[in-house]
Amino acid sequence: MRIERYDMIVIGAGPAGLSAAIEAAKCGIKPIVFDENARPGGQLFKQIHKFFGSKEHKAKMRGFNIGKELLEEAEKAGVKVVLGATVTGLFDGKEVTVRIGDTIKHVQGDSILVATGASENMVNFDGWTLPGVIGAGAAQTMMNLHHVKPGDRILMLGTGNVGLVVSYQLMQAGCEVVALVDAAPRVGGYGVHASKVARCGVPFYLSHTILRAEGDDHVTGVVIGEVGPGWKVIPGTEKHFDVDTICLAVGLSPMAQLLSMAGCQMNDTKGGYVPVIDEDGMTSIDGVFSAGDVTGIEEASSAMIEGRISGLAVAHYLGYIDDAEKQQRIEEQEKALDALRQGMFAPQNRGKKIEKTEEGIPVSENLLDKGYIADDEIARYPGVTHKKGIHPVIECTQNIPCNPCQDACKFGCISIGDNITSLPVVTEDSQCTGCGMCVASCSGQAIFLVEEDVEPGYGEVTMPYEFLPLPKKGDCGVALGRDGKVVCDAEVTKIRSAKAFDHTNLLTIKVPNDMLMKARFFKSQE
Amino acid sequence: MNPTADVIIIGGGINGCAAAYYLAKKGVKNVIVLEASDSIGHGGSSRNGGGVRQSGRDVRELPYVMYGIKHLWPGLSDELGVDVEYTQKGNLRLGKTEKHLEKLKTLADNAKKVGLDVRMIGKEEVKEINPYLSDDIIGASWCPTDGHANPLMATLGFYKKSLSMGVKYYTGAEVASLKKIKGRLRQVILKDGTIFEGEKVIVAAGYESRYIVRTVGIDVPMTRYFDQALVTEMQPEMFPQMLGTADANFYGHQTKHGSFVFGSDCGLEETMDMPLNEMKTISMTLPSSCRAIEGYIPALKDAKIVRSWGGWLDMCLDGVPVISPVDVVPGLILACGFTGHGFGSAPAVGLILAQMAMEEETVVDMSALRYDRFDPYQ
Amino acid sequence: MTDIQEVLNKIGPYEPAEDDHLLVCRCEEVTKGEIRKAVHEGMFTIEELRRYLRCGMGLCQGQTCGKLVKGIVARELGVAVTDVTPATSRAPMRPTEMEIAGNDGGEQA
Repeated sequence: MRIERYDMIVIGAGPAGLSAAIEAAKCGIKPIVFDENARPGGQLFKQIHKFFGSKEHKAKMRGFNIGKELLEEAEKAGVKVVLGATVTGLFDGKEVTVRIGDTIKHVQGDSILVATGASENMVNFDGWTLPGVIGAGAAQTMMNLHHVKPGDRILMLGTGNVGLVVSYQLMQAGCEVVALVDAAPRVGGYGVHASKVARCGVPFYLSHTILRAEGDDHVTGVVIGEVGPGWKVIPGTEKHFDVDTICLAVGLSPMAQLLSMAGCQMNDTKGGYVPVIDEDGMTSIDGVFSAGDVTGIEEASSAMIEGRISGLAVAHYLGYIDDAEKQQRIEEQEKALDALRQGMFAPQNRGKKIEKTEEGIPVSENLLDKGYIADDEIARYPGVTHKKGIHPVIECTQNIPCNPCQDACKFGCISIGDNITSLPVVTEDSQCTGCGMCVASCSGQAIFLVEEDVEPGYGEVTMPYEFLPLPKKGDCGVALGRDGKVVCDAEVTKIRSAKAFDHTNLLTIKVPNDMLMKARFFKSQE
Repeated sequence: MNPTADVIIIGGGINGCAAAYYLAKKGVKNVIVLEASDSIGHGGSSRNGGGVRQSGRDVRELPYVMYGIKHLWPGLSDELGVDVEYTQKGNLRLGKTEKHLEKLKTLADNAKKVGLDVRMIGKEEVKEINPYLSDDIIGASWCPTDGHANPLMATLGFYKKSLSMGVKYYTGAEVASLKKIKGRLRQVILKDGTIFEGEKVIVAAGYESRYIVRTVGIDVPMTRYFDQALVTEMQPEMFPQMLGTADANFYGHQTKHGSFVFGSDCGLEETMDMPLNEMKTISMTLPSSCRAIEGYIPALKDAKIVRSWGGWLDMCLDGVPVISPVDVVPGLILACGFTGHGFGSAPAVGLILAQMAMEEETVVDMSALRYDRFDPYQ
Repeated sequence: MTDIQEVLNKIGPYEPAEDDHLLVCRCEEVTKGEIRKAVHEGMFTIEELRRYLRCGMGLCQGQTCGKLVKGIVARELGVAVTDVTPATSRAPMRPTEMEIAGNDGGEQA
């Protein structure tokens, strides 16, 4: 029997697997990467939104562009990626069987890195098997990879980042999102993601669950109800929506089956069934490593760093780098990983209710309950200042490791400081020119430019805008508040698109002065 | 006081569960079953092809196997209240060469002598019985009273029923040793130190039986052998017979569910030295099994395999099990070394073990299966 | 060590519930009620339940329902979800046609 041999076999060409292969290749290893999909990049190519993080780690880049960069880096490093290659088993002797086309290959590695990612969780309710009930990730694949609209009217279950981001993307694709529902009493994802959905007028139903999907051979409606004590639905709280699609964004589970089959010591955690790994990502089986979501669900940015650490660990394991080099290079990566694991949404804070920001400011209750910051809560955050002349208003109210806005402003108007999770502060003597770079740089779409008295009694609000078709100058319509409700009439006075904005358009509307701190979205009136 | 029973059964596999059931049925009130793993039927009981066959067996096994097929299997589903999917539609043991046929004929002739209806059939008759088989098959032995059942349901059926009759089951109860008190076997001591006491102790723990009975100075000449199985996705109803081959390439059948279950190996299993509690499959076996199955049943080439698994066989030196009270350790009854044929005989063995524990006469003579039958060659 | 009878006494008999009809394993069409009932019949482990009811034994091998089944079992037994051991995974990780699974370069028997 012919058994091919490699220094390093990587299973999964997602962010973790590719990053590991790249680091290993840079150390002189010739890794082979198998991925069952037709395209590499894992989930990255479905991510059309801008990522959070630090400038050094690709923040404010859109996910698919990060994917492109990673592929280019992999190619440059000489990483061999075999696509349409399904690893069907991981056996003793660090051997895998790989299905490629209509053949099975036996491939053995001196090391193996399993980076198989995660799969979507399901919940069951009456009618959950009807066509039209889909995972949020599936909806993303349909829209962003295959350009197929998943449905016309959609209800989203789950307010974690996936539920929030995909809801927004569904709207971008032209779907109507009728509601966001979550059994939890608080929005689970980033407040800024929730806010950009809420301001479009999508209602949030926290402490609610799906009672049933309606329809005979496909979804035609859905009924939700409020969850009371003991997870029982409170009678009389049922609400019906006409929908053709129900999207489930109820979490991800690590796909660790290969590692379980190989006999790796596993750990059953709340976050899923994961391999026990050491700080380098090595499992209980010598030479079998693991990185990325398969070791516990995190953001893609973390997966890429974990991958790089494992790649270096493999290089060390195989004798391509010495102790000192390993230590020095891994330290750099670990610093970056530590930075990403800070703030309110850090792994150690999962499930905790955080009452105050690091700065001691009370967290917006309304944001957690309804998805948007109430008008009377907004003024307490350091990015929200009031002054004459154009200036940024930064509605960033949670400590998230993210700082592109600080560098976006060439005039020093925005300061975060060394602590990447600090809330951005608009400096007192700022010299804002209204260039809008900060607006476009904010992955959370939370920065607005406000200018009073552009003409008597009226001022202008400039907001990020990522919907098509773009409104035109002179278009009339209404301004919507943070809660998605109409606050006043508005007229488009400017629309700016620039390469540097990376597809975030800057829409400027004219509203009465007293609406400047309320108007946060624009809807054309046909 | 230590937990005490009339009969303690070590091994929550199908033989142990069946023995517990027949004891409970006899009215024995206090039966304890100790299973080392967390799940009932964790070993060979859930890792076999479900054959309920007489053909191809050693003549020493035939009396109790035939008894079970005649008297126990047909009513088992009703008795246990669980569909064990017993199907008595015959067994084809297939041959592709003259040498194969010779081997099959020898086995058939021996079986006929003890009264089994088994005969050799030619290519045409094989095709008539099962049109899905390969044209390369030149003949087969045919035993119309053989069949198959669902080993998972049969094992758990005995468990569930006996549980409802009051048998006490303990899982995660790994036995460290046996202990005699005043010359009689009395105590069963677990690895965690727990001591159970019983009048009789039945050891039906597969290969591990060996480690257990060694603690009272008994050994069974066994080796262990790893065998694998696979299951396909659901297929349209194709054929009801149990299949095997003269070459022992594979064996298996279509289940009531529609999936096909086949057991097979690739030869490398012979030297496996993996610990008994690990049952990791070998990379070469699945491909090898698939080629073997395709070679006999080409119609299954597009059937998708959803899972493969493996398990240990306890291979007795002379190819048949030890099912026997152990005279020199009064109170001990042994049932091990089933050599890969244990499933089909389990109801009968369960009944016989219950009879042995009660010191009743067994339904068939079991003297050929005694523990002390092993003599040196020369 | 688990004393099965003791656990059965502790958890009491199976009580039908309103949502027992819900499908949990869609590959093999196993309902929540069947799983709950089986627990009260002594099937405490995922391994036993898979064998008894076929939940998680279908084409997806429990990828979809594995977590749901664990949750149901944990609730019936009154233990933490993480105390219910998931099923072991085995090759092939994706359903593979017999002809292809056998096409690894080895010789036909």
